[in-house]
Amino acid sequence: MSSKEPSITLYTTQTPNGIKISITLEELGIPYTVHKIDISKNTQKEPWFLAINPNGRIPALTDTFTDGQQINLFESGSIMQYLVARYDKDYKISYPPGTREFYEMNNWLFFQNAGLGPMQGQANHFTRYAPDIFEYGISRYQNETRRLYSVLNTHLSSKNIPYLTGTKCTIADIAHWGWIASAGWAGVDIDEFPALKAWEDRMAARPGVEKGRHVPDPHKIKELLKDKAKMERHAAEARKWVQAGMKEDAEKAASAKEQK
Amino acid sequence: MAKPIKVWMAPPGPNPWKVVLILEELDIPYEIVSFKFDDVKKKPFIDLNPNGRVPAIEDPNTGLTLWESGAIIQYLIEQYDTEKKLTYGDVIKKNQLNQWLMFQMSGQGPYFGQAGWFNVLHSEKIPSAIERYNTEVKRILSVLEGQLEGKQWLVGDKITFADLSFVTWNDRIDATLMCAPEKKFDGIPNVKAWHERMTSRPSWKKAMETRAKLMDEQGLQWNGMPKGINNMEEYEAKIKADAEARANGEAVG
Repeated sequence: MSSKEPSITLYTTQTPNGIKISITLEELGIPYTVHKIDISKNTQKEPWFLAINPNGRIPALTDTFTDGQQINLFESGSIMQYLVARYDKDYKISYPPGTREFYEMNNWLFFQNAGLGPMQGQANHFTRYAPDIFEYGISRYQNETRRLYSVLNTHLSSKNIPYLTGTKCTIADIAHWGWIASAGWAGVDIDEFPALKAWEDRMAARPGVEKGRHVPDPHKIKELLKDKAKMERHAAEARKWVQAGMKEDAEKAASAKEQK
Repeated sequence: MAKPIKVWMAPPGPNPWKVVLILEELDIPYEIVSFKFDDVKKKPFIDLNPNGRVPAIEDPNTGLTLWESGAIIQYLIEQYDTEKKLTYGDVIKKNQLNQWLMFQMSGQGPYFGQAGWFNVLHSEKIPSAIERYNTEVKRILSVLEGQLEGKQWLVGDKITFADLSFVTWNDRIDATLMCAPEKKFDGIPNVKAWHERMTSRPSWKKAMETRAKLMDEQGLQWNGMPKGINNMEEYEAKIKADAEARANGEAVG
């Protein structure tokens, strides 16, 4: 007997990649269980989690597949493609496979996953988490993030469209939102990109985004960015565990090399 | 018979060749529009890809223009791999393939790219940045090493588009980490065997022959920079100087 009902568990934490999935689930109105992962304690590197995602990163998701067996998914972009392929039968936040809009949506989805996310992530690292102030790293990644923002801004304004693939909000928009909402954390001023700023507000007004962004904890980046002192305290906390994780990775890489 | 797909590229980088590998493996007719790296952020290319990055394709059979190598690969597979040579019909396996493709796109590509930047292309050598990205490259390789334990391919028992998406960057581990070519797979025997399984295929040989020819046409070294140029800052300065000279009506070599 095949299972048609979702039985989704989302393994996540309060980050731009994590809320992509909770927003997608909320937009689709699918029930799901949240399992909070404490990345400050490196829970994502524990064996039970690595069995779900060998890359040790959030988000990950498990579901009962149509054959009744569990399916494990990781990589936020891949999870989003899975969720709409399986559950978005009315194309609320996607387009029918094989249509032009479907491929254009994936275009922007990959742009976020391969470009904007990684580059803004590096800007966060050098702006907030690196042990020393390293001007070159800060400006390299802030500039690249600004360039990618301007690609989005020009795309939205020159085509005069409310969402990235036209009139409908899709997973390509959802993938971007958490990152654009935390531009200031990477040291990028969103006011430089008016069409993108208007898009960010348009997205934020959606009930699905509002609900999904507070998973598993309240989404507080906007408030944080308004309070410089609090922001510095938050960065100092994060710096500690980011650097501890980096040290552990470096030691593992070194010892793996020695064993051979 | 399908009309040839146009593949727009500057030949040095690894990403256009991921797409070429898929086209070769599926025996889809294609033609390459090769242009200089100097022109990726200019018209006519930015009319095809507003992000100014290669590759992009134009498929005259469907009228579709597409960019981002991962999105292109998904398209080619869905549109042309009707016999499921490089994919699976089974939905679980298909999703697992997409998962590894996304890992390549958001993990291997960006981090190998940054490691290459700080090890090779950037004029100043900054130990903390080099260490950060070298560690991440090794971590990503260790994830692949684990997945390939006791297996020939990432998903199931045949080569797929997910496997092929990793080859072009893995082929450059030595250049990316600045290590000796014979040491590039030290400590990761599964990755080595997997990589060699793919580079021994005709698709890879054909792609690399084409790359060598296109690089030579543009007078480029292995790392994509013109002969006589040693780092990216020098290259950018040359691009700027050439553009100014062109604006002044001078001939540019």
